[in-house]
Amino acid sequence: MTTISSKIKYKNTMGLAAMQGRGFYYPMDLAFDSSEKIYVLGRGHDGDPRGCRIVVMDMNEEYYGTFGSFGNETGQFIWPSSIAVNSKDNLFISDEATNKITVMSKEGNYISSFGEFGSDNGQFDGPNGLAFDHDDNLYVVDHRNGRVQVFDEDGKFIRKFGKPGDLSGELNLPWGITIDSKNNLYIADWGNHRIQEFSNDGDFIKSIGSYGKKDTDLIHPSDVAVDLKGNVFVTDWGNHRFKAFNQNGDLIYSTRGEATLSKWAHDFLNTNIEEKEARSKSKLVFELPGFDKDPHEESSHVEKYFWSPTSITFYKGEIIIVDSNRHRLPVYLVS
Amino acid sequence: MSNTDVLLMAHLMRRAGFGANKGELDKLVENGYDKTVDYMLDNDPNIPVSEYMIRRYQPDYGASLGSTTNGANWMYRMIWSDFPLREKVALFWHGIFATGYAKLANGKVLHDQIKMLLKHGMGNYQNLLVELSRDPAMIIWLDNCESHKGAINENYGRELLELFSMGTGNYTEEDIKEASRAFTGWTIANSDYMTLKCQRDSVWPYGRLSMHFEYNPDDHDEEEKTFLGETGNFNGEDIIKIICEQKATAKFISRHLYSFFVADEPPVPEWPYKEPNDPEAIEMLSKVYFDSGYDIKEMLRFLFKSDFFKSEDVWNKRVKSPVELVAGTLRLTKEFNRPSRDQYFTTLNAQYMGQWMMSPPSVEGWHWGTEWLDSGTLVERVNFSSSSLGNKDNIGVKEIINNIKSSLDSPIDSEKLVDASLEQLGALSTSENTRSILIDYADSNLDSSEEINDEEIAELLKFVGAMPEYQRS
Repeated sequence: MTTISSKIKYKNTMGLAAMQGRGFYYPMDLAFDSSEKIYVLGRGHDGDPRGCRIVVMDMNEEYYGTFGSFGNETGQFIWPSSIAVNSKDNLFISDEATNKITVMSKEGNYISSFGEFGSDNGQFDGPNGLAFDHDDNLYVVDHRNGRVQVFDEDGKFIRKFGKPGDLSGELNLPWGITIDSKNNLYIADWGNHRIQEFSNDGDFIKSIGSYGKKDTDLIHPSDVAVDLKGNVFVTDWGNHRFKAFNQNGDLIYSTRGEATLSKWAHDFLNTNIEEKEARSKSKLVFELPGFDKDPHEESSHVEKYFWSPTSITFYKGEIIIVDSNRHRLPVYLVS
Repeated sequence: MSNTDVLLMAHLMRRAGFGANKGELDKLVENGYDKTVDYMLDNDPNIPVSEYMIRRYQPDYGASLGSTTNGANWMYRMIWSDFPLREKVALFWHGIFATGYAKLANGKVLHDQIKMLLKHGMGNYQNLLVELSRDPAMIIWLDNCESHKGAINENYGRELLELFSMGTGNYTEEDIKEASRAFTGWTIANSDYMTLKCQRDSVWPYGRLSMHFEYNPDDHDEEEKTFLGETGNFNGEDIIKIICEQKATAKFISRHLYSFFVADEPPVPEWPYKEPNDPEAIEMLSKVYFDSGYDIKEMLRFLFKSDFFKSEDVWNKRVKSPVELVAGTLRLTKEFNRPSRDQYFTTLNAQYMGQWMMSPPSVEGWHWGTEWLDSGTLVERVNFSSSSLGNKDNIGVKEIINNIKSSLDSPIDSEKLVDASLEQLGALSTSENTRSILIDYADSNLDSSEEINDEEIAELLKFVGAMPEYQRS
């Protein structure tokens, strides 16, 4: 673990692996509504789509239920990727398999959907990252088309920017997106191993990171968040790390992860005494004998490490990370 | 290039890989047979789509909560690798060093074992057996984590000798006990917790945990042992060294290689009572085993370049295993050029045909040969290959159709159409009877006055997929 800034501290972990009900099965993203409820979007997997659902909870791990399911019907999803909430507390969910954005009420009722496969305006080839600007316009990362499309709240196309490539301002299979207090955009340029900042009009401003395993490097970043000071928080998906950079792009924090047992995890172990006992006698942190320096493999062995984190959210002084392969949400405090 | 050269190269690619289409065969024949063999053995394969790409869209292909996504991940490598010999060799060892989901209930650990076979399967056999003995899936599967100093569990010691190296009749019950004593202390980290999670199929609290080997010297039997006539304070590595020095081991591994890559041998339990079909070939392979210092790669080099492998007598005689059939067909149809949800369900076809990757039916693995075929699995096989080859929307099928069309003059001659189709599907050889059936089909379904259309060719390809020759390698 590398820590540079003492202003970022691990707080706790939320969640539990669960194919249905209270817990997650490959969570991909989350969003808050105005009442501070969290909507955690799950993907499930191709052999078991029950994880394809939205789990509603709060920061105290209070569980409010689930809605949404796998399928091709309205209000259902195949490969859901990202979720965002607008000022009216409606949920927008992208699906990179059906090429649709689905709109639902916060109670889980289907409202509408838009999008279809293609490369024309309003069409998608793998929509994933979603974000709303201050005017409630929706920004959709249209990843295989290498661009971002902007829609009004009714799903009407407004404009687009970006094109596939690896030059400044170009995008290679981008994933997550966020919008800062100045309405600037930050995009996790997954295929180019960098975070790019754009103006609201889509003009390139700056780039952070390049391919590598050093702390200052990135490998396939999945998502980005920004705080009010302009600090940039990144889920370094391919290095399986959480990293933070200041507004100049200098690294201020990097961690491999230090997840602990969540409230739900404690509940599970307290009702499964044999597992709790066997676990308590186990050494779950150890020096690893190799694994070809592959952090994916290391993370598969060491439970507290991040394993393919897919989303990062800054909310009221806290960072919440979707640690997808570990089906949990580690939380960090930012002071 | 002669037709014989193409047919021989097609034979090599079916056995050392999962087949090749006409364009690929033409290039390989130009390169030459021996050079192709050497290239496959001496170079890492090129796999154009990275693991990163797969995990982005299909995270369970890397994290394995499910029981079958690990196999689907492996199938990607089989269909995308330019020379999938490494996959073929790993599949060979997987059938011998069988471990499965039924007991492990952890797809990640099984997947890790396949990665070990991919890495070490074409290397030194002694080293491979050491890696196998340290493999967490094997340690749980054959209970070596339950084998302790003063209280041995003989499962691993027994199967190491019976199924993994020498075969029955070449050792005693006492040798099994002594080998088991030597492997005490060979366990996995946190074995109580890990085995409990396996027993309960527990993904809680935070998904699957990979496992790793741990040597516990306090639990290792340090007393003297006598194994295959040698005496000493043996540890597991010593036992494997002695095993690898045995003629029985050379013969056992040679016979396995021959059976998988050349021609079906009787089932392994019959080997003590039945001589090999080609004793001379087994003798030659055994010699290479010793001359090369137990090097599997050199045994394969010798095998692929041997007259007994090149002989037309062994062409198209083996029934493709379900995995071979599915992978070979998908390489032709190219229907998955990027991660796709459909790939998962297509891979399951191998399971429906009787071969669930990473879950063989027993410690003996699968029985190969004609045992793959029964009335149920044959229907699955024919339906799968016909529907894939007959889908003109598949990229590879489109290419095949275009190549067939461009190779023929109008008006279309049914015989030439059939021969071109068989050629495009990888120099597929058929009996005269099959060929005449295909020609009759073409005669009765083509309108020779009209220009041939894609649909008609796709229908013929679908019919070829149902032919018995397509089911063979």
